[in-house]
Amino acid sequence: MSRFELYSPEGMRIDGRRSNELRSFNCNINTHPNASDGSSFIQQGNSNVICLVKGPMDPSYSTIKNGSGAGQSTSIDEPTLNISINYPPFANNDRRKKLTKNDRRLTELSIILTKCFLKTIVLKNYPRTVIDVQVTLLSFDGGLLSACCNAITLALIDAGIALYDYVTAVTVGIYDQVPLLDLCTLEENDLSFITVGVVGDSDKLNLILCEDKLPLDKLERMIGLGIQGCHRLKELMDAKVREVGFDLLNKKQ
Amino acid sequence: MPRDYDISNNEKQFVLEALKQNLRLDGRKLLQMRDISIVVSPEEYGYVEVTMGKTKVGCRVSGEITKPYDERPFEGIFQISTEISPICSPFFESGQTSNSKQSADEVLISRLIEKAIRRSNALDLESLCIIAGSKCWSIRADLQFLNFDGNFIDISCIAVITALLHFRKPDLEIDGDQLIVFDTNQRDPTPLSILHIPICVTFQFYNPNDNEENIKGDLNNELILIDSNLIEERLSLGSMTLTLNKNKELCQMLKSGGLNIDATLIIKCCSVASKLVDELTTKIQKVLKVDEEQRKSGMESELQVVNDR
Repeated sequence: MSRFELYSPEGMRIDGRRSNELRSFNCNINTHPNASDGSSFIQQGNSNVICLVKGPMDPSYSTIKNGSGAGQSTSIDEPTLNISINYPPFANNDRRKKLTKNDRRLTELSIILTKCFLKTIVLKNYPRTVIDVQVTLLSFDGGLLSACCNAITLALIDAGIALYDYVTAVTVGIYDQVPLLDLCTLEENDLSFITVGVVGDSDKLNLILCEDKLPLDKLERMIGLGIQGCHRLKELMDAKVREVGFDLLNKKQ
Repeated sequence: MPRDYDISNNEKQFVLEALKQNLRLDGRKLLQMRDISIVVSPEEYGYVEVTMGKTKVGCRVSGEITKPYDERPFEGIFQISTEISPICSPFFESGQTSNSKQSADEVLISRLIEKAIRRSNALDLESLCIIAGSKCWSIRADLQFLNFDGNFIDISCIAVITALLHFRKPDLEIDGDQLIVFDTNQRDPTPLSILHIPICVTFQFYNPNDNEENIKGDLNNELILIDSNLIEERLSLGSMTLTLNKNKELCQMLKSGGLNIDATLIIKCCSVASKLVDELTTKIQKVLKVDEEQRKSGMESELQVVNDR
Protein backbone atom coordinates (compact mmCIF):
# COMPACT_ATOMS: atom_id res chain seq x y z
CA MET A 1 0.00 0.00 0.00
CA SER A 2 1.62 3.25 -1.07
CA ARG A 3 1.95 5.96 1.52
CA PHE A 4 -0.24 8.85 0.50
CA GLU A 5 1.47 12.14 -0.05
CA LEU A 6 0.26 15.02 2.00
CA TYR A 7 1.15 17.38 -0.81
CA SER A 8 2.02 15.98 -4.22
CA PRO A 9 4.51 17.74 -6.51
CA GLU A 10 1.57 18.73 -8.72
CA GLY A 11 0.01 20.65 -5.85
CA MET A 12 -2.72 18.19 -4.76
CA ARG A 13 -3.44 17.28 -1.17
CA ILE A 14 -4.83 13.92 -0.08
CA ASP A 15 -8.41 15.06 -0.47
CA GLY A 16 -7.77 16.70 -3.83
CA ARG A 17 -7.61 20.29 -2.65
CA ARG A 18 -4.96 22.86 -3.48
CA SER A 19 -2.81 24.37 -0.78
CA ASN A 20 -4.99 27.44 -0.33
CA GLU A 21 -8.46 25.90 -0.56
CA LEU A 22 -10.85 25.59 2.35
CA ARG A 23 -12.81 22.44 2.96
CA SER A 24 -16.48 22.49 2.04
CA PHE A 25 -18.14 24.76 4.56
CA ASN A 26 -21.79 24.48 5.55
CA CYS A 27 -23.46 26.30 8.33
CA ASN A 28 -26.93 26.74 9.67
CA ILE A 29 -28.31 28.83 12.48
CA ASN A 30 -31.43 28.57 14.58
CA THR A 31 -31.25 24.79 14.37
CA HIS A 32 -32.56 24.26 17.93
CA PRO A 33 -35.12 26.99 18.47
CA ASN A 34 -36.78 25.25 21.43
CA ALA A 35 -33.73 23.97 23.24
CA SER A 36 -31.84 27.23 23.48
CA ASP A 37 -31.84 30.93 22.82
CA GLY A 38 -29.34 30.59 20.00
CA SER A 39 -27.99 27.62 18.14
CA SER A 40 -25.79 26.83 15.19
CA PHE A 41 -24.51 23.86 13.28
CA ILE A 42 -21.25 23.96 11.37
CA GLN A 43 -19.78 21.51 8.92
CA GLN A 44 -16.18 22.13 8.02
CA GLY A 45 -15.26 19.25 5.76
CA ASN A 46 -16.06 16.20 7.87
CA SER A 47 -16.02 18.03 11.20
CA ASN A 48 -19.53 18.61 12.52
CA VAL A 49 -20.11 20.88 15.49
CA ILE A 50 -23.29 21.95 17.23
CA CYS A 51 -23.39 24.95 19.51
CA LEU A 52 -26.17 25.98 21.87
CA VAL A 53 -26.30 29.32 23.62
CA LYS A 54 -28.51 30.11 26.58
CA GLY A 55 -28.59 33.68 27.62
CA PRO A 56 -28.40 36.34 28.67
CA MET A 57 -29.94 34.87 31.85
CA ASP A 58 -30.21 35.89 35.46
CA PRO A 59 -27.30 34.50 37.41
CA SER A 60 -28.10 31.59 39.70
CA TYR A 61 -27.52 31.99 43.43
CA SER A 62 -24.39 29.82 43.37
CA THR A 63 -22.78 32.04 40.73
CA ILE A 64 -23.41 35.11 42.83
CA LYS A 65 -22.15 33.43 45.98
CA ASN A 66 -18.96 31.97 44.57
CA GLY A 67 -18.06 34.93 42.44
CA SER A 68 -17.02 34.55 38.87
CA GLY A 69 -15.38 31.44 37.52
CA ALA A 70 -12.44 30.79 35.30
CA GLY A 71 -10.92 33.75 33.53
CA GLN A 72 -13.77 36.14 34.20
CA SER A 73 -13.59 39.70 35.31
CA THR A 74 -15.12 40.30 38.69
CA SER A 75 -16.83 43.51 37.68
CA ILE A 76 -20.58 43.30 38.09
CA ASP A 77 -21.06 45.41 34.99
CA GLU A 78 -20.08 42.55 32.72
CA PRO A 79 -21.69 39.23 31.90
CA THR A 80 -20.30 35.90 33.00
CA LEU A 81 -19.52 33.73 30.02
CA ASN A 82 -19.39 29.96 30.53
CA ILE A 83 -18.17 27.90 27.62
CA SER A 84 -18.08 24.13 27.85
CA ILE A 85 -16.85 21.84 25.12
CA ASN A 86 -18.22 18.34 24.92
CA TYR A 87 -16.10 15.87 22.98
CA PRO A 88 -17.94 12.53 23.01
CA PRO A 89 -16.06 9.27 22.33
CA PHE A 90 -17.88 8.63 19.05
CA ALA A 91 -16.63 11.88 17.52
CA ASN A 92 -13.27 10.43 16.57
CA ASN A 93 -12.44 8.01 13.81
CA ASP A 94 -11.80 5.25 16.34
CA ARG A 95 -13.89 5.36 19.50
CA ARG A 96 -11.71 6.76 22.23
CA LYS A 97 -12.03 6.06 25.93
CA LYS A 98 -12.73 9.08 28.10
CA LEU A 99 -9.25 10.00 29.24
CA THR A 100 -8.74 12.52 32.00
CA LYS A 101 -5.73 13.88 30.13
CA ASN A 102 -7.93 15.28 27.38
CA ASP A 103 -10.11 16.98 29.97
CA ARG A 104 -7.26 19.38 30.65
CA ARG A 105 -6.91 20.11 26.97
CA LEU A 106 -10.64 20.80 26.64
CA THR A 107 -10.57 22.99 29.77
CA GLU A 108 -7.72 24.95 28.26
CA LEU A 109 -9.60 25.37 24.97
CA SER A 110 -12.73 26.56 26.74
CA ILE A 111 -10.70 29.10 28.74
CA ILE A 112 -9.13 30.34 25.51
CA LEU A 113 -12.51 30.68 23.82
CA THR A 114 -13.99 32.42 26.87
CA LYS A 115 -11.25 35.03 26.82
CA CYS A 116 -11.69 35.41 23.07
CA PHE A 117 -15.41 36.07 23.20
CA LEU A 118 -15.24 38.27 26.26
CA LYS A 119 -13.49 40.74 24.00
CA THR A 120 -15.97 40.39 21.13
CA ILE A 121 -19.28 40.61 22.96
CA VAL A 122 -20.51 44.11 23.68
CA LEU A 123 -20.18 43.63 27.41
CA LYS A 124 -21.80 46.84 28.59
CA ASN A 125 -25.15 45.65 27.20
CA TYR A 126 -25.34 42.69 29.55
CA PRO A 127 -24.40 43.62 33.09
CA ARG A 128 -24.98 41.04 35.82
CA THR A 129 -26.06 38.26 33.47
CA VAL A 130 -24.86 34.81 32.61
CA ILE A 131 -24.34 33.52 29.09
CA ASP A 132 -24.01 29.74 28.82
CA VAL A 133 -22.44 28.26 25.73
CA GLN A 134 -22.35 24.52 25.06
CA VAL A 135 -20.38 23.15 22.16
CA THR A 136 -20.76 19.53 21.13
CA LEU A 137 -18.56 17.86 18.58
CA LEU A 138 -20.51 15.33 16.58
CA SER A 139 -17.68 14.30 14.35
CA PHE A 140 -14.11 15.46 14.42
CA ASP A 141 -11.91 15.66 11.37
CA GLY A 142 -9.41 18.38 12.15
CA GLY A 143 -9.70 21.95 13.33
CA LEU A 144 -11.03 21.58 16.89
CA LEU A 145 -10.53 25.14 18.05
CA SER A 146 -11.50 26.69 14.72
CA ALA A 147 -14.75 24.77 14.36
CA CYS A 148 -15.74 25.58 17.95
CA CYS A 149 -14.92 29.26 17.48
CA ASN A 150 -16.97 29.54 14.28
CA ALA A 151 -19.89 27.67 15.80
CA ILE A 152 -19.91 29.89 18.90
CA THR A 153 -19.84 33.07 16.78
CA LEU A 154 -22.88 31.98 14.82
CA ALA A 155 -24.79 30.77 17.86
CA LEU A 156 -24.19 34.04 19.70
CA ILE A 157 -25.46 35.95 16.68
CA ASP A 158 -28.53 33.72 16.58
CA ALA A 159 -29.17 34.30 20.28
CA GLY A 160 -29.28 38.00 19.59
CA ILE A 161 -26.24 38.77 21.72
CA ALA A 162 -24.53 41.89 20.42
CA LEU A 163 -21.08 41.22 19.01
CA TYR A 164 -18.66 43.79 17.68
CA ASP A 165 -17.83 41.58 14.73
CA TYR A 166 -17.54 37.97 13.57
CA VAL A 167 -14.66 35.92 14.93
CA THR A 168 -13.70 33.30 12.40
CA ALA A 169 -10.94 30.77 12.82
CA VAL A 170 -9.09 28.37 10.59
CA THR A 171 -6.05 26.09 10.79
CA VAL A 172 -2.95 26.52 8.65
CA GLY A 173 -0.26 23.87 8.42
CA ILE A 174 3.18 23.91 6.87
CA TYR A 175 4.50 21.18 4.62
CA ASP A 176 8.13 21.87 3.79
CA GLN A 177 7.89 25.33 2.21
CA VAL A 178 4.18 25.33 1.42
CA PRO A 179 1.52 26.57 3.83
CA LEU A 180 -1.67 24.45 3.66
CA LEU A 181 -5.04 25.89 4.60
CA ASP A 182 -7.70 24.14 6.68
CA LEU A 183 -6.22 20.81 7.68
CA CYS A 184 -8.01 17.52 8.16
CA THR A 185 -7.02 15.05 10.91
CA LEU A 186 -4.54 13.11 8.79
CA GLU A 187 -2.71 16.31 7.93
CA GLU A 188 -2.89 17.60 11.50
CA ASN A 189 -1.25 14.46 12.84
CA ASP A 190 1.72 14.77 10.53
CA LEU A 191 2.28 18.49 10.13
CA SER A 192 2.94 21.43 12.41
CA PHE A 193 0.01 23.78 12.29
CA ILE A 194 -1.36 26.93 13.78
CA THR A 195 -4.93 28.02 14.42
CA VAL A 196 -5.70 31.67 13.66
CA GLY A 197 -8.79 33.55 14.80
CA VAL A 198 -9.51 36.78 12.98
CA VAL A 199 -11.96 39.56 13.83
CA GLY A 200 -14.27 40.47 10.95
CA ASP A 201 -12.67 41.77 7.79
CA SER A 202 -9.65 43.30 9.48
CA ASP A 203 -6.16 41.86 9.69
CA LYS A 204 -6.30 41.80 13.46
CA LEU A 205 -5.90 38.51 15.23
CA ASN A 206 -7.91 37.71 18.29
CA LEU A 207 -6.67 34.19 18.65
CA ILE A 208 -3.54 32.37 17.72
CA LEU A 209 -2.57 28.91 18.84
CA CYS A 210 0.45 26.86 17.86
CA GLU A 211 1.26 23.60 19.61
CA ASP A 212 3.97 22.11 17.46
CA LYS A 213 7.47 23.14 16.52
CA LEU A 214 7.57 25.51 13.61
CA PRO A 215 10.44 27.39 11.95
CA LEU A 216 9.98 31.06 12.78
CA ASP A 217 10.47 32.40 9.26
CA LYS A 218 7.47 30.47 7.93
CA LEU A 219 5.12 32.03 10.46
CA GLU A 220 4.38 35.19 8.53
CA ARG A 221 3.18 33.39 5.39
CA MET A 222 1.07 31.02 7.42
CA ILE A 223 -0.64 33.84 9.28
CA GLY A 224 -1.24 35.66 5.97
CA LEU A 225 -2.87 32.60 4.44
CA GLY A 226 -4.91 32.05 7.60
CA ILE A 227 -6.24 35.60 7.51
CA GLN A 228 -7.38 35.16 3.90
CA GLY A 229 -9.09 31.89 4.79
CA CYS A 230 -10.85 33.53 7.73
CA HIS A 231 -12.11 36.38 5.58
CA ARG A 232 -13.61 33.88 3.17
CA LEU A 233 -15.26 31.99 6.03
CA LYS A 234 -16.69 35.23 7.34
CA GLU A 235 -18.27 35.92 3.93
CA LEU A 236 -19.89 32.48 3.92
CA MET A 237 -21.15 32.83 7.49
CA ASP A 238 -22.45 36.33 6.89
CA ALA A 239 -24.34 35.20 3.78
CA LYS A 240 -26.07 32.49 5.78
CA VAL A 241 -26.98 34.82 8.63
CA ARG A 242 -28.49 37.34 6.24
CA GLU A 243 -30.41 34.59 4.45
CA VAL A 244 -31.96 33.32 7.67
CA GLY A 245 -32.62 36.90 8.71
CA PHE A 246 -34.53 37.69 5.52
CA ASP A 247 -36.56 34.51 5.89
CA LEU A 248 -37.58 35.49 9.40
CA LEU A 249 -38.51 38.96 8.19
CA ASN A 250 -40.62 37.59 5.33
CA LYS A 251 -42.42 35.13 7.59
CA LYS A 252 -43.41 37.91 9.93
CA GLN A 253 -45.05 39.94 7.15
CA MET B 1 -11.88 31.88 49.13
CA PRO B 2 -9.02 33.61 47.38
CA ARG B 3 -8.79 37.35 47.72
CA ASP B 4 -8.75 39.16 44.49
CA TYR B 5 -6.22 41.85 43.87
CA ASP B 6 -8.07 45.14 44.26
CA ILE B 7 -6.47 47.92 42.31
CA SER B 8 -7.65 51.40 43.09
CA ASN B 9 -8.80 53.59 40.22
CA ASN B 10 -5.94 55.94 40.95
CA GLU B 11 -3.33 53.24 40.54
CA LYS B 12 -5.02 51.95 37.41
CA GLN B 13 -5.07 55.33 35.71
CA PHE B 14 -1.53 56.12 36.79
CA VAL B 15 -0.09 52.92 35.39
CA LEU B 16 -1.99 53.18 32.10
CA GLU B 17 -1.12 56.84 31.58
CA ALA B 18 2.52 56.08 32.28
CA LEU B 19 2.43 53.25 29.73
CA LYS B 20 1.04 55.59 27.11
CA GLN B 21 4.16 57.66 27.64
CA ASN B 22 6.37 54.55 27.44
CA LEU B 23 7.17 54.57 31.15
CA ARG B 24 6.88 51.70 33.57
CA LEU B 25 6.66 51.85 37.35
CA ASP B 26 10.10 50.35 37.90
CA GLY B 27 11.79 52.41 35.22
CA ARG B 28 12.22 49.63 32.65
CA LYS B 29 11.59 50.06 28.96
CA LEU B 30 8.46 48.44 27.58
CA LEU B 31 10.37 45.56 25.99
CA GLN B 32 12.88 45.03 28.75
CA MET B 33 12.90 42.04 31.10
CA ARG B 34 13.70 42.22 34.77
CA ASP B 35 17.07 40.99 35.97
CA ILE B 36 17.08 37.25 36.25
CA SER B 37 19.09 35.38 38.81
CA ILE B 38 19.44 31.64 38.30
CA VAL B 39 20.85 29.76 41.27
CA VAL B 40 21.69 26.09 40.91
CA SER B 41 22.19 24.06 44.02
CA PRO B 42 25.89 23.38 44.64
CA GLU B 43 25.32 20.25 46.74
CA GLU B 44 22.82 18.21 44.77
CA TYR B 45 21.95 17.81 41.14
CA GLY B 46 18.62 18.99 39.81
CA TYR B 47 17.50 21.84 42.06
CA VAL B 48 17.26 25.35 40.69
CA GLU B 49 15.85 28.60 42.04
CA VAL B 50 15.06 31.37 39.59
CA THR B 51 14.25 34.91 40.63
CA MET B 52 12.91 37.61 38.32
CA GLY B 53 12.39 40.82 40.24
CA LYS B 54 10.27 39.64 43.16
CA THR B 55 8.84 36.57 41.48
CA LYS B 56 10.58 33.46 42.71
CA VAL B 57 10.23 29.87 41.62
CA GLY B 58 12.06 26.70 42.61
CA CYS B 59 12.22 23.56 40.53
CA ARG B 60 13.40 20.13 41.53
CA VAL B 61 13.98 17.31 39.09
CA SER B 62 14.04 13.76 40.39
CA GLY B 63 14.16 10.39 38.72
CA GLU B 64 13.28 6.83 39.54
CA ILE B 65 13.19 3.57 37.65
CA THR B 66 9.76 2.20 36.76
CA LYS B 67 7.94 0.24 34.12
CA PRO B 68 7.16 2.20 30.95
CA TYR B 69 3.65 2.68 29.62
CA ASP B 70 2.29 -0.33 27.74
CA GLU B 71 1.62 1.57 24.54
CA ARG B 72 5.08 3.17 24.57
CA PRO B 73 7.63 0.52 25.56
CA PHE B 74 10.62 2.37 24.10
CA GLU B 75 10.08 5.66 25.88
CA GLY B 76 10.60 6.88 29.41
CA ILE B 77 8.12 8.88 31.46
CA PHE B 78 8.35 12.60 32.02
CA GLN B 79 5.93 14.57 34.18
CA ILE B 80 5.81 18.20 35.20
CA SER B 81 3.84 19.17 38.26
CA THR B 82 2.75 22.77 38.65
CA GLU B 83 0.59 23.25 41.70
CA ILE B 84 0.25 26.78 42.88
CA SER B 85 -0.32 27.09 46.59
CA PRO B 86 -1.15 30.15 48.66
CA ILE B 87 2.48 30.30 49.81
CA CYS B 88 3.29 32.54 46.88
CA SER B 89 0.35 34.86 47.15
CA PRO B 90 -3.07 35.04 48.80
CA PHE B 91 -4.70 35.22 45.39
CA PHE B 92 -4.28 31.50 44.82
CA GLU B 93 -6.25 28.76 46.48
CA SER B 94 -4.74 25.59 47.77
CA GLY B 95 -5.62 22.57 45.61
CA GLN B 96 -7.50 20.68 48.31
CA THR B 97 -9.88 23.35 49.48
CA SER B 98 -11.02 24.63 46.08
CA ASN B 99 -13.58 22.70 44.07
CA SER B 100 -12.31 20.11 41.62
CA LYS B 101 -11.80 22.65 38.87
CA GLN B 102 -8.41 24.29 39.10
CA SER B 103 -8.48 27.98 38.51
CA ALA B 104 -8.03 29.20 34.97
CA ASP B 105 -4.58 30.60 35.66
CA GLU B 106 -3.26 27.33 36.98
CA VAL B 107 -4.61 25.28 34.11
CA LEU B 108 -3.15 27.68 31.56
CA ILE B 109 0.24 27.81 33.25
CA SER B 110 0.54 24.05 33.53
CA ARG B 111 -0.65 23.46 29.97
CA LEU B 112 1.76 26.09 28.63
CA ILE B 113 4.74 24.62 30.44
CA GLU B 114 3.73 21.15 29.34
CA LYS B 115 3.43 22.19 25.72
CA ALA B 116 6.67 24.14 25.83
CA ILE B 117 8.76 21.36 27.32
CA ARG B 118 7.01 18.04 26.98
CA ARG B 119 5.27 18.38 23.66
CA SER B 120 8.21 20.05 21.99
CA ASN B 121 10.37 17.10 23.03
CA ALA B 122 13.00 19.10 24.89
CA LEU B 123 13.78 15.96 26.86
CA ASP B 124 14.44 12.98 24.65
CA LEU B 125 12.16 10.30 26.04
CA GLU B 126 13.73 7.44 24.12
CA SER B 127 17.03 8.04 25.89
CA LEU B 128 15.26 7.30 29.17
CA CYS B 129 14.53 3.74 28.17
CA ILE B 130 16.66 1.11 29.96
CA ILE B 131 15.14 -2.25 29.06
CA ALA B 132 12.40 -1.92 26.47
CA GLY B 133 9.02 -2.82 27.86
CA SER B 134 10.10 -3.40 31.44
CA LYS B 135 12.37 -0.70 32.84
CA CYS B 136 12.70 2.98 32.13
CA TRP B 137 13.49 6.22 33.89
CA SER B 138 10.58 8.25 35.14
CA ILE B 139 11.72 11.85 35.41
CA ARG B 140 9.60 14.25 37.37
CA ALA B 141 9.94 18.02 37.53
CA ASP B 142 8.22 19.68 40.49
CA LEU B 143 7.73 23.40 40.37
CA GLN B 144 7.39 25.28 43.64
CA PHE B 145 6.01 28.76 43.28
CA LEU B 146 7.60 30.73 46.08
CA ASN B 147 6.60 34.31 45.43
CA PHE B 148 4.26 35.87 42.94
CA ASP B 149 4.94 39.24 41.35
CA GLY B 150 3.64 38.57 37.86
CA ASN B 151 4.88 36.48 34.99
CA PHE B 152 4.91 32.95 36.32
CA ILE B 153 5.03 31.36 32.90
CA ASP B 154 8.40 32.68 31.73
CA ILE B 155 10.12 32.03 34.99
CA SER B 156 8.72 28.50 35.37
CA CYS B 157 9.92 27.53 31.93
CA ILE B 158 13.45 28.77 32.64
CA ALA B 159 13.45 26.96 35.99
CA VAL B 160 12.31 23.63 34.55
CA ILE B 161 14.68 23.60 31.63
CA THR B 162 17.67 24.67 33.77
CA ALA B 163 16.86 22.01 36.34
CA LEU B 164 16.61 19.39 33.59
CA LEU B 165 19.97 20.48 32.21
CA HIS B 166 21.48 20.40 35.68
CA PHE B 167 20.09 17.04 36.76
CA ARG B 168 22.26 13.93 36.65
CA LYS B 169 20.84 10.44 36.78
CA PRO B 170 22.82 7.61 38.39
CA ASP B 171 24.90 5.49 36.05
CA LEU B 172 23.60 2.02 35.18
CA GLU B 173 24.87 -1.26 33.90
CA ILE B 174 22.87 -4.13 32.50
CA ASP B 175 24.30 -7.53 33.37
CA GLY B 176 22.24 -10.18 31.61
CA ASP B 177 18.80 -9.43 32.98
CA GLN B 178 20.04 -7.75 36.10
CA LEU B 179 20.14 -4.03 36.39
CA ILE B 180 22.91 -2.52 38.50
CA VAL B 181 22.47 1.09 39.62
CA PHE B 182 25.68 2.75 40.76
CA ASP B 183 25.76 5.22 43.58
CA THR B 184 27.08 8.72 42.93
CA ASN B 185 30.21 7.88 44.90
CA GLN B 186 31.00 4.87 42.74
CA ARG B 187 30.43 6.34 39.30
CA ASP B 188 29.75 9.83 38.03
CA PRO B 189 26.07 10.29 37.27
CA THR B 190 25.09 11.03 33.67
CA PRO B 191 23.23 14.09 32.39
CA LEU B 192 19.86 13.88 30.65
CA SER B 193 19.62 14.13 26.90
CA ILE B 194 18.15 17.58 26.25
CA LEU B 195 17.55 18.20 22.55
CA HIS B 196 16.88 21.93 22.64
CA ILE B 197 16.29 24.69 25.17
CA PRO B 198 12.79 26.17 24.88
CA ILE B 199 12.19 29.47 26.63
CA CYS B 200 8.85 31.21 27.07
CA VAL B 201 8.30 34.94 26.61
CA THR B 202 4.98 36.44 27.64
CA PHE B 203 3.67 39.68 26.16
CA GLN B 204 0.89 41.75 27.69
CA PHE B 205 -1.28 44.09 25.60
CA TYR B 206 -2.82 47.41 26.56
CA ASN B 207 -5.19 49.62 24.65
CA PRO B 208 -4.50 53.36 24.67
CA ASN B 209 -7.71 54.04 22.73
CA ASP B 210 -11.20 52.75 23.33
CA ASN B 211 -12.60 49.35 22.54
CA GLU B 212 -14.29 50.24 19.29
CA GLU B 213 -11.09 51.70 17.85
CA ASN B 214 -9.27 48.49 18.62
CA ILE B 215 -11.82 46.26 16.93
CA LYS B 216 -12.88 48.34 13.97
CA GLY B 217 -10.16 50.91 13.60
CA ASP B 218 -6.84 50.99 11.82
CA LEU B 219 -4.56 52.82 14.20
CA ASN B 220 -2.74 49.70 15.40
CA ASN B 221 -1.03 51.42 18.28
CA GLU B 222 -1.65 48.89 20.99
CA LEU B 223 1.02 48.82 23.68
CA ILE B 224 3.09 45.71 24.15
CA LEU B 225 4.89 44.86 27.36
CA ILE B 226 7.35 42.12 28.28
CA ASP B 227 7.72 40.60 31.73
CA SER B 228 4.91 42.31 33.55
CA ASN B 229 4.81 42.56 37.29
CA LEU B 230 1.69 41.96 39.37
CA ILE B 231 -0.15 45.21 38.77
CA GLU B 232 0.70 45.34 35.07
CA GLU B 233 -0.54 41.78 34.65
CA ARG B 234 -3.84 42.51 36.37
CA LEU B 235 -4.43 45.55 34.21
CA SER B 236 -3.54 43.94 30.94
CA LEU B 237 -6.29 43.46 28.39
CA GLY B 238 -4.74 40.46 26.67
CA SER B 239 -1.63 38.36 26.66
CA MET B 240 0.39 36.21 24.30
CA THR B 241 2.97 33.61 25.21
CA LEU B 242 5.63 32.51 22.75
CA THR B 243 8.08 29.69 23.29
CA LEU B 244 11.19 29.78 21.15
CA ASN B 245 14.58 28.19 21.19
CA LYS B 246 17.97 29.26 19.95
CA ASN B 247 17.50 27.43 16.63
CA LYS B 248 14.84 29.97 15.63
CA GLU B 249 12.07 27.43 16.08
CA LEU B 250 8.71 28.35 17.49
CA CYS B 251 7.81 25.61 19.96
CA GLN B 252 4.42 26.90 20.88
CA MET B 253 2.40 30.07 20.68
CA LEU B 254 -0.77 31.04 22.46
CA LYS B 255 -2.72 34.24 22.21
CA SER B 256 -5.90 33.48 24.03
CA GLY B 257 -8.39 36.16 23.13
CA GLY B 258 -8.05 39.52 24.75
CA LEU B 259 -7.14 42.59 22.75
CA ASN B 260 -7.09 42.15 18.98
CA ILE B 261 -3.62 42.63 17.62
CA ASP B 262 -2.58 43.23 14.04
CA ALA B 263 -0.61 40.43 12.43
CA THR B 264 2.41 42.67 11.78
CA LEU B 265 2.69 43.48 15.48
CA ILE B 266 2.64 39.78 16.25
CA ILE B 267 5.50 39.12 13.86
CA LYS B 268 7.39 41.97 15.53
CA CYS B 269 6.83 40.32 18.90
CA CYS B 270 8.29 37.11 17.54
CA SER B 271 11.50 38.81 16.49
CA VAL B 272 11.82 40.63 19.83
CA ALA B 273 11.26 37.34 21.64
CA SER B 274 13.83 35.61 19.48
CA LYS B 275 16.56 38.02 20.58
CA LEU B 276 15.61 37.70 24.22
CA VAL B 277 15.63 33.93 24.00
CA ASP B 278 19.16 33.94 22.58
CA GLU B 279 20.36 36.06 25.51
CA LEU B 280 18.60 33.91 28.08
CA THR B 281 19.94 30.67 26.61
CA THR B 282 23.49 32.00 26.79
CA LYS B 283 22.89 33.04 30.38
CA ILE B 284 21.56 29.61 31.39
CA GLN B 285 24.49 27.84 29.76
CA LYS B 286 26.93 30.14 31.52
CA VAL B 287 25.40 29.47 34.92
CA LEU B 288 25.56 25.73 34.37
CA LYS B 289 29.14 25.91 33.19
CA VAL B 290 30.24 27.89 36.24
CA ASP B 291 28.52 25.38 38.48
CA GLU B 292 30.22 22.46 36.79
CA GLU B 293 33.63 24.05 37.11
CA GLN B 294 33.04 24.69 40.79
CA ARG B 295 32.18 21.07 41.38
CA LYS B 296 35.23 19.86 39.57
CA SER B 297 37.66 22.07 41.48
CA GLY B 298 39.71 20.75 44.31
CA MET B 299 40.13 17.08 45.15
CA GLU B 300 37.83 15.83 42.44
CA SER B 301 40.01 16.96 39.58
CA GLU B 302 42.98 15.22 41.24
CA LEU B 303 41.13 11.95 41.54
CA GLN B 304 39.63 12.01 38.06
CA VAL B 305 40.32 8.93 36.00
CA VAL B 306 40.32 10.79 32.72
CA ASN B 307 43.74 12.17 31.87
CA ASP B 308 44.31 15.62 30.54
CA ARG B 309 45.41 15.43 26.96
